[in-house]
Amino acid sequence: MRSVRNLYLIVSAVVAVSLLAGGLAQWLNSGTEEGRRFAGYMQRVPVASACCIVGAVGVIWLGWYWLKLAGAITSMAKRLKQEKLHKINFNERIQDRDTDEIKPRDEARVKLNHNALVDELSEVIDERLGDYSNIIGRLEKQINDLQIQIQLTQRQKGHIEAIIYGIHDAVIVIDEFDRLLMANEAAGKLFNFNFESAQHRRIGELIHEGKSEFTDFLRHTRQSKAQPTRKEIEFSEDGEPKTFDCIVSCIYDENRQVCGVVAVLHDITREKQIQQTKNDFVNHVCHELKTPLASINAYSEMLTDGEAKDAQTRKEFYSVIRSQAKRLNGLIEDILNISRIESGLIKVDKGPVSLTILIEEQLQMIKSYAEEKNICLKDIGQSRVVFDRVYGDKDMISQVIVNLLSNAIKYTPSGGSVKIETEVDETADIARLSVTDTGIGIPENEIEHIFDKFYRVSTNKKQAEGTGLGLNLVKQIIEKVHDGRVFVRSKPGQGSTFGFELPLATRNVVESLPTAGRAQLR
Amino acid sequence: MSKKRVLIVDDEIHIVHVVAIKLRNNDYEVISADNGAEAFELARSEKPDIIVTDFQMPVMTGLELVEKIRQCDVTKDIPVIMLTARSFAVEDQQKEDLQISQCLSKPFSPKELLEDIEDILYHRAVVNHQV
Repeated sequence: MRSVRNLYLIVSAVVAVSLLAGGLAQWLNSGTEEGRRFAGYMQRVPVASACCIVGAVGVIWLGWYWLKLAGAITSMAKRLKQEKLHKINFNERIQDRDTDEIKPRDEARVKLNHNALVDELSEVIDERLGDYSNIIGRLEKQINDLQIQIQLTQRQKGHIEAIIYGIHDAVIVIDEFDRLLMANEAAGKLFNFNFESAQHRRIGELIHEGKSEFTDFLRHTRQSKAQPTRKEIEFSEDGEPKTFDCIVSCIYDENRQVCGVVAVLHDITREKQIQQTKNDFVNHVCHELKTPLASINAYSEMLTDGEAKDAQTRKEFYSVIRSQAKRLNGLIEDILNISRIESGLIKVDKGPVSLTILIEEQLQMIKSYAEEKNICLKDIGQSRVVFDRVYGDKDMISQVIVNLLSNAIKYTPSGGSVKIETEVDETADIARLSVTDTGIGIPENEIEHIFDKFYRVSTNKKQAEGTGLGLNLVKQIIEKVHDGRVFVRSKPGQGSTFGFELPLATRNVVESLPTAGRAQLR
Repeated sequence: MSKKRVLIVDDEIHIVHVVAIKLRNNDYEVISADNGAEAFELARSEKPDIIVTDFQMPVMTGLELVEKIRQCDVTKDIPVIMLTARSFAVEDQQKEDLQISQCLSKPFSPKELLEDIEDILYHRAVVNHQV
């Protein structure tokens, strides 16, 4: 390498001297006094001419040499790409060159060294290119993986958004500064804001007074960094008081710092009402069951303790025990029937049923009770031709008729009358049955509750015993099982009319029935 | 010595009847009502020595009756025994505030009711005597 450098220096020096001499000749011919005098001196010596000739030859040679070297490098680089050359110990060669004494080399040797260097450089470049190619390959793979990951994440985000926006519960997400990040439609409706315009606004500005318990709960959960916490919160929605089961969870960043809070509000108003109704029902049942039981217990204890002094009193006590036991049984039966109807577990055997024929059957059964109370029973529809067929369960409708008749007799004083009648409204396609008594009637303010479970008219309690379930059972059978309608009209002291309407069993219904069904036609 | 007078209030006629027989057999005078409003009027006019009332009644509940009794100067000191068919119908605080002497849950024993009445009246007599 050093010998090549020395060669370059020699050639360059020759060229420089030649150019200097050339320059000097030019100066001599420039017309100045000193130049002319020096030129005269120089003309006697042919040095300048020789220098110019040597300089020109040197420039030509140097140009030719560099052109040739460039061509060699280009062709070598091409050749190295096509075939793998044998390995040259680059370091060893470099060491050898460093220790060698710079000696003059001939042109072929210089060319060989340059070619070897180019080879080694090309190999290094090739290896580096290979490395870069591997790195680029890995990067491309990573980019592909990342793109797939981004697609998956976007799809998951879409799923989560679809879930959040699709669920009925209100969902709100806020950041660590209480600003709204996300809210679904239910939340917007509940808190009366539009998410698009409300995004990034502080939750305190969006949720107004009356609902501050909720915002306080959010802040408290975020500040205390609590685990998912639950609270029942009550506030009004569209003017109606509602109860929400509110679950609030903190959102953590990669450093386990709370960076937001997510709140889910589930409307449990209906559940609370059902729970309350259930509790009321259990309390009512408990009270109604314990009342006859209390009588049975007290009277039997009195008999045991000999408190009934004479046979008449003892007979009276036994009678009370028996009637209360019967009342208890009736109560249990009614509760079970209502429960079965409400739960849909009762077996319903529907078919075309004639109301007139059912009335005849039930009047026979209840006749003795009416006679016992000296009440006149009138069947207005008795002579009617059987056109009042309804599509229903015979046993259930019989139960309804007997409940209405026994109620009418129960609350009608001795000497009164109870009439039962049916009519068919072909225009409305319904049959109507009504039971009218001349009894004590119902106060106007209590009529709306008369079909409620366990409801008994306060002023009529003395008149007769009852469970408060009979009319509720009538309502359940007519409206829930048969899609009919119950009605009541009453005036205190003048009597009451209870009845129901059921859809007629039309010709189509009867004809579409299987043979076995038609056989049930009574 | 005059008979002690007991006011029995219940909308269940059989309960009134059986308690009345038990008390009359044990030398008590019995008056009765089937609702709170009627009972309050009877309490004011007849000034019974003790009142036995049901918890759940039409028109006026047992608790409402006791509240009214405690507000009236004529009846405010009359001891009250409450009968109830409901569990936990009367809370301890209410019992204390309304000075309800005893709560018996249905079904109850007429014998135990009589013993409670005797105990309450005896203690009241002792206190009155000391005063």
